[in-house]
Amino acid sequence: MASRRLLWVVLGLAVVLVLGTVAYRRFLYHEFVGTVIQSPEPAFDFELMSAEGPVRLSDFRGKVVILFFGYTHCPDVCPTTLAKLAKVMEYLDNDAQQVQVLMISVDPDRDSPEVVQSYASHFYPSFIGLTGTPEQIQEVATKYGIYYKKREGTSESGYLVDHTASLILIDPEGYVKLIFPSVVPEDEEYLKAMAEDIRYILRH
Amino acid sequence: MSRQVYYFMYGFLGLIFLGAVAFKVFQPIQVLPRIRLAPGFTLYDAQGNPVTSEDMRGRIALYGFWAARCRGCEQVLPTMTYVAKHLPEQPEWQAGDLDIAFVIIDVDPERDGPVLAEYTQRLRQETGQSWFFVTHPDVRYLKTVVGGGFEVFFAKQGDVVEVDPKYIIVDGWGIIRGEYAYQTIEPNHRRLLRHLNVLAQEIHNSKGAARVAYEAAHLFLCYAK
Repeated sequence: MASRRLLWVVLGLAVVLVLGTVAYRRFLYHEFVGTVIQSPEPAFDFELMSAEGPVRLSDFRGKVVILFFGYTHCPDVCPTTLAKLAKVMEYLDNDAQQVQVLMISVDPDRDSPEVVQSYASHFYPSFIGLTGTPEQIQEVATKYGIYYKKREGTSESGYLVDHTASLILIDPEGYVKLIFPSVVPEDEEYLKAMAEDIRYILRH
Repeated sequence: MSRQVYYFMYGFLGLIFLGAVAFKVFQPIQVLPRIRLAPGFTLYDAQGNPVTSEDMRGRIALYGFWAARCRGCEQVLPTMTYVAKHLPEQPEWQAGDLDIAFVIIDVDPERDGPVLAEYTQRLRQETGQSWFFVTHPDVRYLKTVVGGGFEVFFAKQGDVVEVDPKYIIVDGWGIIRGEYAYQTIEPNHRRLLRHLNVLAQEIHNSKGAARVAYEAAHLFLCYAK
């Protein structure tokens, strides 16, 4: 009798342990590929110009926002990063509606709101391109840890702009939550893991 | 027999529970918080070479804010020099595989230009660490970086520059991991050394299975005091 009761206890414990572990891995613990920031203060709220008028970061409360700083004459890192982000949006499927990618121009002299918008939406229809006065761009870029600098006479089209190309993810409550590295790895696994990170943030 | 097994089971579960509580209370793993993004910047050293936030990527940087004639920043150079000298004695830094930069942002560019080269040279020799004394001719830009980005207040008051004393630790990702604005019972140079050791520990150990424990320490806010 005693041994049967013991069996039940052990079985019960085993079930609890397994369920607990599964629940922990499934619902509580998620290993992010991006670097997590637990910022006590909300992300810097900016207002910049889109092709359809002024846009504030806080307009997108309730969505995951991904910030990317780049420019339309950018020969390498910008098109590849945006193409990868478009791929991530595809992996997100229905959840992609809850995600807003904002491309902010670090070349406000050449990128008008219309130019940067048509460039951004070329990669994915919902991407928004933003620009502003040089002072506005300087402030926003500085606040988000983005370095950028013109290199005069370095290309046939005039000049290139060196810039930090990390991706900054802002959660639906408006806090900076994740950073993805400057050069997002090319492989599919990484892009899928990025999509999982975003999904996790949307669900929690 | 069976009663003993029960006791064993309860004891086992109790241990797990106590372990979780002890993890939170005794904090066997401590970390520095990931506070927010450090600002991006292009500043210039005494020779006019650009020093940017990208140059600091991949290495730890300790920032101090300073002017040759200032009120509030008198302790900045002595404190950072002490840290630079004694860092190699810290247990986690003895491996010598970590890169750190000591960055002084000068908030009085009009006057301090010439002295920067001299200071850089002297502190490099004295401590054997890599030092940067940087500034920017445009004070408005300095305000954007120092005031807006690092959140350090400074203002010119007649002949001196008033500077809020503050030290900032930024990790290789460009994330602010420590801000030290107030003097505590533990002097700043001790606290900075201890915290840099905690950061080095995380960089060395947070791999594989231990990464889960370190991330849990972040989640449970097991921050170094």
